[in-house]
Amino acid sequence: MKRKFMQPLVVAAVSALAISLLAGCGSSGGVGGQKSAAQSTSGPVTLNYWTWYPDQKTTQTAIDGFEKANPSIKVNLRLYTSVDYQKDLPLALNGGSKLDVVGVQVSAMTNTVKSNLRPVSTYAKDLVPGWKTKLDPKLVKQTQAAASDNVLYDLPMGEVSSPFVFYNASLLKKYDIPVPTTADELAAASKKLEAAGITQPVVEVGDGWWQEEVLFGIIGQTDPTLSDKIFLGKASWNQPAIVKGLADYKSLFDSGAITTSTLSLTGSAPDAAFDTGKAAFLVGGAWESSILSASYRKANDITLSDVGATSFPIVEPNGKPSARSLAEGGLAIPKSSTHVAAAAKFISYMTYGAGVNLWDSNLVYAPAAKVGFAPTSELTTAAAKKGFATVVAVSSAPGSERTSQQDFLNQVEGPTILDVLRGTTTPEAAAAALQTAWTSGRYPHAGN
Amino acid sequence: MTNKSVLSAGRVNPSGEGSPAPASSGRRRRTINTGWTAAAFLLPLLAFYAVYYVYSFVFLGQVSQQRVGLSFVDQIQVGFQNYQLVLTDPIFQRSIINNLIFAAVSIAASLTLGFFIAMMLATGARLNRAMYVIFLLPSLIPLSLFASVFGRMLQDQGGAFNQALQTIGLGALQQDWLASDGTAYAAVFVLLVYLIGLPIMYYRSDVSSVDVAILEASLLDGASTFQIFRLILFPLLRTTHLTVILSVLLGSFRAFDLIFFSTLGAPSGRTGISGTYIYQSALAQDGVGYAAAASVIVLIVALIVSLVQIIVTRRSNR
Repeated sequence: MKRKFMQPLVVAAVSALAISLLAGCGSSGGVGGQKSAAQSTSGPVTLNYWTWYPDQKTTQTAIDGFEKANPSIKVNLRLYTSVDYQKDLPLALNGGSKLDVVGVQVSAMTNTVKSNLRPVSTYAKDLVPGWKTKLDPKLVKQTQAAASDNVLYDLPMGEVSSPFVFYNASLLKKYDIPVPTTADELAAASKKLEAAGITQPVVEVGDGWWQEEVLFGIIGQTDPTLSDKIFLGKASWNQPAIVKGLADYKSLFDSGAITTSTLSLTGSAPDAAFDTGKAAFLVGGAWESSILSASYRKANDITLSDVGATSFPIVEPNGKPSARSLAEGGLAIPKSSTHVAAAAKFISYMTYGAGVNLWDSNLVYAPAAKVGFAPTSELTTAAAKKGFATVVAVSSAPGSERTSQQDFLNQVEGPTILDVLRGTTTPEAAAAALQTAWTSGRYPHAGN
Repeated sequence: MTNKSVLSAGRVNPSGEGSPAPASSGRRRRTINTGWTAAAFLLPLLAFYAVYYVYSFVFLGQVSQQRVGLSFVDQIQVGFQNYQLVLTDPIFQRSIINNLIFAAVSIAASLTLGFFIAMMLATGARLNRAMYVIFLLPSLIPLSLFASVFGRMLQDQGGAFNQALQTIGLGALQQDWLASDGTAYAAVFVLLVYLIGLPIMYYRSDVSSVDVAILEASLLDGASTFQIFRLILFPLLRTTHLTVILSVLLGSFRAFDLIFFSTLGAPSGRTGISGTYIYQSALAQDGVGYAAAASVIVLIVALIVSLVQIIVTRRSNR
């Protein structure tokens, strides 16, 4: 009887293993990947444009401007959320979707989609002559370096950096609270606001990916290049600076500067809390700078009368304001595009052409273009002007690149930092666990 | 049945010698004809299944030995390295353990609460049809929708549970239910208990086949209702228990949407199961091969678990 029951198991297990072995001996030919599509030369052109940024209204405004300047070219926009885009674009490109221009998240997506993108060198002749001189060379270099084969596949729209603190200037003024520059001042401000009935004075997104941003923001205050060293494989995770950084970040929760409940906020929940005046401080990236703009607030029915920004509070006594920065918003042409010349024209327009001033008004990216970027018309108060100047100054200061190893971040790093913040594990144990996972071989691109 | 008939025909004249009786010969011809007819009808479907299984498993096995991403280009052959990495990953090990824990909770709920509710409904209690629909409904609506709603109810801020606590004056008990292991597991357990509608349906339909004379006899002997449930009906429905256990057990390996849309593995991935692990692995850079290796391992684990369960159940039924 035992043999009777064991037989199917043995057969199934052996079959599965045999299939694996046989498959290993088989062809390794891929089922995806594409050759560059032949070009369409007749009729009006419609470009299919997929991206996740900027928002629908801003992007459509820029597209309208492009279509007006190029009447024979239409642009069909499809806008995704950031997370969905990371999943859907590789699948669409691999499936042969006819896309002409795609947004590429420089750090998170370049290597997952580059095999289906045309190198910029293949259509450089269709870009405006001298295009290299029109873009910040540092950002172009970062974009190129993001690809594992060091090939430039996309042109960056701008640069983003983090972390920063955005504050409700009117609320601070009402309760006579100075803009905090240190962790102790932030804790004092939180206590004062809590006493005034604001139960969650400081909000930030509780997603794992964001925890890395804050952790390296804090570590960068005393060791601005450690993030670069770790992600280039030149330093380990289980070192005192990481342990100290984790402990410092945890101390913000222990001191009451930030309440643990904010870690349960995901997606746009922190923005909503801040926009509606339920929170006085929003810890976020430079991409939150739109909130500094009075016209943006009015257009989005946000009733806050005055908003400012400052660098992330200094935690260690000898620290200096710090942020990690990186090129972002890459625009690329897929191999499947049959309208490369028109697509290149659109990319030129959006990265260093007239389109820049149509999308940069939302202040999310510091544009890569060396065009007359003048956001001051958007900034109407002293707090907003000073805040944006701080964001620009801290972003351009020497520091690490805003690079991540996305898989490691999602599966190990983010959850581990959250465990420290919730008191489930110690900074020492967390640092050791991060190093173990980093060198486990499960993240083949870790440290490359 | 067909094979048995063919064997029977063979025993009539195993050596093929002599002249078989005309009646036996006719039966044999009919049986063989019936067998061929059945095979002819089954063949297209079998061919379809064969192509599906062979293609799927060979493809899975092939990819599992590669480092390759969603674009399926620039593959690197890595042999069995993916298997080794998956098997030594504590997150994967935990996901398999979670599969088994969640299956155990579902089975326990089905065999106790599900059985009891089904028996109560079968007694013809008032509003039993309405009650039946209430219990069955969570199992009939899409799991993703059900789990999403449940996940929103658990939210720390604005979630229905915390709001309800606030309303009844127990605001101090409000918390982020998915922030700690204990409450997050408890939340999944509650969700699993809600989904005992199908076991209830199995029990309710099978209890109608129980011989009423047995129940009448037990009543005449003075058995209480609880004794009838426990000592008469529960043993009589053991084949239904087997069906319930098997379906729930194997269902636990396909409960991706249940976890993904309710806890998303929170806190820190610790309520994740093999399905969510494979999904996240597949989305990683060059992670499709790794995810394929995890899928093969989960397949083998599911086979082993099913077989062990069948052996144990058969032995206990002897």
